[in-house]
Amino acid sequence: MVRMTLTLSTLLASAISLPLASADEPVSFNRDIRPILADKCFACHGFDEKKREAGLRLDTFEGATADHDGNRAIIPGDVANSELWKRVNTDDPDLHMPPAESHKELSPEEVAKLKQWIEQGAEYQKHWAFLPISDAPVPPQVTGGRNPIDAFVGKRLNQKGWKLSEEANKSTLIRRVAFALTGLPPTIAEVDEYLADDSADAYEKMVDRYLRSTHYGEEMARHWLDVARYADTHGLHLDNERQMWAYRDWVVKSFNRNQPFNEFTIEQLAGDLLPNPTTDQLVATGFNRCNVTTSEGGSIDAEYHYRYAVDRASTTASTWMALTAGCAVCHDHKFDPISQKEFYSLYAFFNASADPAMDGNALLTNPVLKLENDSDKQKLAEYDQRITQSQQHLQELVSKVEYRDPATVEPKPEVSTSESVWMEDDYPTDGNRFAGPGQPTLFVTKDQNEKVFSGERALKRTDAGLSQDVWDQAKTPLMVPTQPILFAYVYLDPANPPKSIMLQYHRAGWQHRAVWGDYEAIQWGAANTPERVAMGPLPKTGEWVRLEVPADKVGLNPGDALTGFATTQFGGTVYWDKVGVQGTSDPANDPSRSFLAWWKNAKGKDTPGLPGDLNGIAKAGPEPAPAADQIERLKAHYLTRVCNETKSTLAGPASEVDRLRVEKDAYYNAIPSTFIYKDAQTPRDSFIMIRGQYNQPGDKVDADVPAILPPIRPAGATDRMTRLDLAKWLVSPQHPLTSRVIVNRFWQQMFGVGLVKSSADFGTQGELPSDAELLDWLSLEFQRSGWDVKQLMRLMLTSASFRQRSFSTPDMIEKDPENRWLERGPRLRLDAEQIRDNALFVSGLINLSLGGKGVKPYQPANIWEPVGFVGSNTRAYQQDRGSALYRRSLYTFYKRTAPPPFMVNFDAPNREQSCTRRERSNTPLQALQLLNDVQHVEASRALAERVLANGGGDPTARVRYLFKTVLSREPQPHELAVLQKQLGEHLARYAASPQDAASLIQQGESKPSTNAPATELAAYTLLAGTVLNMDETLTRN
Amino acid sequence: MNELTKLQMQINRRNFFGSTGVRLGGLAAGMLAAPELLDSLARGDTANDGRVHPAIPGLPHFPPKAKSIIYLHMNGAPSQIDTWDYKPGLQEYYDKDLPPSVQGGQRLSTMTSGQTRFPVAPSKFKYEQKGKCGMWTNTDLFPFTSEVVDEIALIRSVFTNAINHDPACTFVMTGSEVPGKASIGSWLSYGLGSENNDLPAFVVFTPKFPEDSNGQALFSRMWASGYLPTRFNGVALRGSGDPVLYLPNPAGVTRTDRRLMLDSLQELNRGAQAEFGDPETATRIAQYEMAFRMQASVPELTDIETETAETLEMYGPNVRDPGSFAHSALLARRLVERGVRVVQLLHRGWDQHGDLPRQIGNQCKQTDQPIAALIKDLKQRGMLDSTLVVWGGEFGRTVYSQGGLSRDNYGRDHHPRNFCMWMAGGGIKGGITYGTTDDFSYNIVENPVNVNDVNATIMHCMGIDHERFTYKFQGLDQRLTGVEKQRVVTELLA
Repeated sequence: MVRMTLTLSTLLASAISLPLASADEPVSFNRDIRPILADKCFACHGFDEKKREAGLRLDTFEGATADHDGNRAIIPGDVANSELWKRVNTDDPDLHMPPAESHKELSPEEVAKLKQWIEQGAEYQKHWAFLPISDAPVPPQVTGGRNPIDAFVGKRLNQKGWKLSEEANKSTLIRRVAFALTGLPPTIAEVDEYLADDSADAYEKMVDRYLRSTHYGEEMARHWLDVARYADTHGLHLDNERQMWAYRDWVVKSFNRNQPFNEFTIEQLAGDLLPNPTTDQLVATGFNRCNVTTSEGGSIDAEYHYRYAVDRASTTASTWMALTAGCAVCHDHKFDPISQKEFYSLYAFFNASADPAMDGNALLTNPVLKLENDSDKQKLAEYDQRITQSQQHLQELVSKVEYRDPATVEPKPEVSTSESVWMEDDYPTDGNRFAGPGQPTLFVTKDQNEKVFSGERALKRTDAGLSQDVWDQAKTPLMVPTQPILFAYVYLDPANPPKSIMLQYHRAGWQHRAVWGDYEAIQWGAANTPERVAMGPLPKTGEWVRLEVPADKVGLNPGDALTGFATTQFGGTVYWDKVGVQGTSDPANDPSRSFLAWWKNAKGKDTPGLPGDLNGIAKAGPEPAPAADQIERLKAHYLTRVCNETKSTLAGPASEVDRLRVEKDAYYNAIPSTFIYKDAQTPRDSFIMIRGQYNQPGDKVDADVPAILPPIRPAGATDRMTRLDLAKWLVSPQHPLTSRVIVNRFWQQMFGVGLVKSSADFGTQGELPSDAELLDWLSLEFQRSGWDVKQLMRLMLTSASFRQRSFSTPDMIEKDPENRWLERGPRLRLDAEQIRDNALFVSGLINLSLGGKGVKPYQPANIWEPVGFVGSNTRAYQQDRGSALYRRSLYTFYKRTAPPPFMVNFDAPNREQSCTRRERSNTPLQALQLLNDVQHVEASRALAERVLANGGGDPTARVRYLFKTVLSREPQPHELAVLQKQLGEHLARYAASPQDAASLIQQGESKPSTNAPATELAAYTLLAGTVLNMDETLTRN
Repeated sequence: MNELTKLQMQINRRNFFGSTGVRLGGLAAGMLAAPELLDSLARGDTANDGRVHPAIPGLPHFPPKAKSIIYLHMNGAPSQIDTWDYKPGLQEYYDKDLPPSVQGGQRLSTMTSGQTRFPVAPSKFKYEQKGKCGMWTNTDLFPFTSEVVDEIALIRSVFTNAINHDPACTFVMTGSEVPGKASIGSWLSYGLGSENNDLPAFVVFTPKFPEDSNGQALFSRMWASGYLPTRFNGVALRGSGDPVLYLPNPAGVTRTDRRLMLDSLQELNRGAQAEFGDPETATRIAQYEMAFRMQASVPELTDIETETAETLEMYGPNVRDPGSFAHSALLARRLVERGVRVVQLLHRGWDQHGDLPRQIGNQCKQTDQPIAALIKDLKQRGMLDSTLVVWGGEFGRTVYSQGGLSRDNYGRDHHPRNFCMWMAGGGIKGGITYGTTDDFSYNIVENPVNVNDVNATIMHCMGIDHERFTYKFQGLDQRLTGVEKQRVVTELLA
């Protein structure tokens, strides 16, 4: 194996150099032949058994040289008799390869290479990325080289007769490093400190300063979150909000504390399986809860369990192994040696998750973790104590109540008419209230000169359309008596009457509605059924009217237990007061007066609001009688919550208990939670899914890894492989992919393009490494350092290769347009977040606080609304106010079906699936954003204020200050001249139209605080905007 | 040598290495937007001369019939039984159970899989034979479209795999149920570019829909570029607010101020060009100029008062209401008139699980007249031959009623097994009806058409062989129509 490895690195030594090997140079399978076969032949003659034509496979030596009825595709050394050679060269369209319908053709160069290869013995090699990482010696250092990276880079350059460029100047370097490590520009003070430092290691010290910055973790996390497909909504259908920002903050924290990357890996994939996992380790498992989920009505559970597991397996494979395993969902991978069975073996690791198929459109979909800190725990304990105290107090009062059950007195009391009032001055305390759309629930009083029918307060609501006040989820249900008539008092404002009003009652559902006025105005419920009963015209306006609804009309009967009611209107101003039910009551048989009658009524059913054991007692009925203390507890509940005669005297203390419970719940609910990953109690069996269809299982498979990779060993007592085994396997020293893939992505982050350009695909269809030796050396170095990410960053950033000047001559661009050979330093357009953060930072507007819930900065109107589902809670964009507008872009709320336009416009992904590489497009829409987005206009003004405040008195000094703030350097004379001329013209123009000046400087929510005249500030605003839009500003130079 | 010439030289050398006879024509280097342009110029391809959004090399594969496409997506899934799949025999089956032999044990959505009965709900609407072709048309719902059926090729036998909105919309627009693929509009603008230099190549509208209709969500992935470069994302022209994001200058900044600022900016940027020698700087200079031009061209586009009174009247009473379907339809015509390649209108609210007859009536009230007007308008201007118009949803609806059933009121659940689409204009044979379903509009009995067959046919009309039009991503030659074999429905072609 060692011999083979050495061969490989020798062969790959000039892997992508152009032109390719000359005729007398040996042909390399991996470099020269595999790309041809992979592109032109493997689709029909590759790894995928089902698609294999004529039983011929060309991806292995055995397959290519096998005998087929006397013919062999390849006879090593014998071109003339190799069938492949004949087929490629024949003119007969029936025999010619590749066939016409494949739309593929071989170029003459490719044909020549195939010939040469067969002549030289047709040697096959394993694909480079699956071979062990080679421990190649560092080549001798080159002139200008600083560390081993340069020795590799320089060696490659020397072979071409090229050399490293000179070092960039210091002000360019500090800005380059600051953006690379923190995503922010350096401050003037940081620049001055660095420029003044003449020591030999000034650069290294500067790099270390930025590595220590808390903003380092933010910048590193940003890239990882693209890979992890992190966002703040579920992604499918309603695309409601989800709460898992604690995962995002964990990523930031992990990079900041320089958690070794192998641990970082294990905790995200299997933190829950570690012994006694910490909160952080559980939060980390959010990685595999970041996938999109649905709760669309009609969806089939099995289908979505399947899809989530496929997503998680594919994301894991691409994140750590850069394998496009997703292809094997439907068929054996055509190009890479991953069979469909092997894909489903990988899938099996994740096809056991505890999260449901339907996310419930909920903020928190189980499993979730409550993130209580110590003070939260203390506060909750205090609540528990106070609740216990007030319960004891209540019990004492109950024990003193004198109550005689009318069912047990003689003679029996007479039948009478009575009313139960459900709402007088407020709703009952033990339910849930909500209102909308429009204003929240409002109770008004007589003192406010408002209408009140009885008691102290009445409900009031004004709305242009459909709106309502609702009370539901009653813990103690409202009972329907015999001969029941539902009633409510209503007052319609004569100045603003509604189109219609409605009373609604909730039993098992909201299917009981009575309407007065325009019957069609509110379309709820099937027409002309108890779901929507016409009660006639609107009552008279300008006075209190008692509305009455015979209960049977709306489908309600004596003994029904209601758990909610609603007062609804379409338009107008409506007051409601005193809502309840009237009925005849035989006290001995009336559940609201007789304990025994109530208990009999409760027999055989569940009574909402009763704790489990009491519910069981109630359900069993009064006979045979349970133990005396049980009867007492049940009776105490009855007297406190149900009995009309006694509950009013106990209402105060009872509501105190309820209030404390509500407060505790509210406090508890306000503590954030986060999605975590867990396995289901019973693991699901996994099968190969035929053609990727969730409902067509084939053979059963167990969790395992692809055979082309090193074997995995279960750590547990059983043979069953766990996610922890998988995670540890990924970061084991034998694994040929993980460290290469990770190092390559960090390289891409620093240098713009990975050593393997296709950073998402290390398979045979991916690109070969530009420098295989360097990639392997870095990978091993990374492992040897204990997967130390900061050390790796330091290594890359302190190389002469990184420190080069980025100037490119036409000749360099011609030879190496993408700068793969690093004859010059990297020059990259800033990413979306960096561009916005830069404007906020240099203008001084930025709010650099760390972490927390996603924020909603400025966004043009109608980004969410035109696409949002009507019932979605992310349909209407509610922009934040104040300092939240100036948070770093990392913290912007990310709605997947309508991501922030400032991000997407600059190539940020929509986070629906894992993304390892963003493009760097260059479009007119970007120009419009940077010129006109209020965020940038406001930043220009704030920057102008800074310039006027700190830049000195004369225009020259101010322009110099502006330049230094934004670009960390002094302007050139011609730049100074251009800007001064521009300034002069703006000043003259705004002096002539001060109105325009005043408008411009009022953009955004922050207000100008300078004493400078508006005309001057406006002129400097455009000047600052010009510098913020400069190519050099938008670029890491 | 002045800066501009130097710039041109650099770009030339970067991209034209090895080629001879390169002409930049009258094209200023500042307008260069895409590397494809340079490639095409290097090939001496005059069709791309001066184009900011050029076609990629080799495209179109053959002379296209349609130069532009207007895709009308009725989001939420219009009932085929109440629109285009006329089933007179159903009246006899009113409130009778759908025969199990027809239902055939197919998968149902969980919204109706629990129903104990599957009572047949015949359409309450009136159908008549219209046009020279005599196409059966719902004249209650489509009084205007029924006048243009001779232009329409109706497909009654489209089917999909998805039974829910999200995956079905993703499928119909990107050829795959799994999010992340490129949308059809992105494919077409990537491949064919655009003939307008001042407007985006692919424009999307999401017009208003009736407030009490059941509006499903739209997803930006329906017009997203997926794995294609992001500059091929559809640009959503908005009904309210600025038609293009960030288009107007801030208050207090005039076009003259902006010009002054840009002149200064461009001069500074030319300095950066000299300092760093990066071709991206030249592109950036060009894009700022394009932005400046768009600030004039987009308002010109949306100023519909230049249209004649007859034209405005033809699109119906809402045509002056920005964001209405009628207004968007008229803008669609103005866009293709200006050489924009792809326009999509996504109209929501077609998901009638209940209260279907009333709601679908409202949907059609908003869309019928403008759609008919669009076809007539294109025809009058001689543009229909070169513009492909496509109408459709994401799946069909069940013949049996969901919820309560009366003659006048019913609802219908999702039905992926067959639904209707129609095409008209460039490359399409008008006045034909293709594909047949059984008497219950529940199963296709003749000429099934997969969603991706439709996509293949659209591409064909635009001069593209869908099998050869691929993009390398994740090790695969990705194509809009997926890995399965798809078919151009040649029977629909003129």
